[in-house]
Amino acid sequence: MADEEDEPGFEEELDDGSGGVDAAGHGRRKRLFSKELRCMMYGFGDDQNPYTESVDILEDLVIEFITEMTHKAMSIGRQGRVQVEDIVFLIRKDPRKFARVKDLLTMNEELKRARKAFDEANYGS
Amino acid sequence: MADPARIKTEDSLEKEGFTNEEHLKTDQTEPETSADDNKEPSTQDHPKDLKTETEAAADDEEEGTSGQPSSKRLKVEPEKKKEKRHKVDEDEIQKMQVLVSSFSEEQLNRYEMYRRSAFPKAAIKRLIQSITGSSVSQNVVIAMSGISKVFVGEIVEEALDVCEKWGDTPPLQPKHMREAVRRLKSRDQIPNTKHKNILFH
Repeated sequence: MADEEDEPGFEEELDDGSGGVDAAGHGRRKRLFSKELRCMMYGFGDDQNPYTESVDILEDLVIEFITEMTHKAMSIGRQGRVQVEDIVFLIRKDPRKFARVKDLLTMNEELKRARKAFDEANYGS
Repeated sequence: MADPARIKTEDSLEKEGFTNEEHLKTDQTEPETSADDNKEPSTQDHPKDLKTETEAAADDEEEGTSGQPSSKRLKVEPEKKKEKRHKVDEDEIQKMQVLVSSFSEEQLNRYEMYRRSAFPKAAIKRLIQSITGSSVSQNVVIAMSGISKVFVGEIVEEALDVCEKWGDTPPLQPKHMREAVRRLKSRDQIPNTKHKNILFH
């Protein structure tokens, strides 16, 4: 079995489910995304009640992903800060994520414009 | 169960880079047993409409694929491209409406969860700020949550593939997740800066 493939947090799933106070690693933190991840897994095709261990593994993976992206974004562009342009640059090779980010940012701009126009219309009347 | 028409729809939509359809693929395997009986008569009409629409749309999308000779691609002017993309968007919306209107209740539930689930912005912001030590803009949080959701989707889809390949059934087990991560790592879809490749030792 390849032990070095994933982060050390996996050991906790075998020990106990209560956050793993004794074991070191990601598991010491309280579970941040349990509820949301369950809904997400169901939406992406898993069972309506996914296993808690799988949800934990996914949460660790997501936190590691965000951490890696943040560190990378801090090292390029303006050092020490995370900016949207850096994230877009890092994601450029992955077509799905790139398209998704572009969509999200465009939609956000449209929503802001719509809200601003709505507020101005209200202000007039 | 109109599978060829459905798959054809997804293929043509995938070319556009719309990711929603790829996730819907997993819905097909689930409700086949129960939906088959009810859906047979109603889906007979739909495939024909979908098929003609997808054939028309597929011709429009040739510009992006490698099948078309480059000379034909050069003939397409920029205005035509914009117009085509507009038409393709409307086709896309129509197709989606037709598709969603024919969902069973279980599929509707799953689709709703797929669209609505999201990471809490506050938690993501706290996480990023704990790493950077300085504050981040709202756009960064939006972008990061969006990318993370796509990331989860990639892993779950790969894990479902693994699960099916190994002859198991859903609820995904940790072994499926780990195999999925291993596969994605070999495709460089999981960032890893912990291991440094030292070329000349």
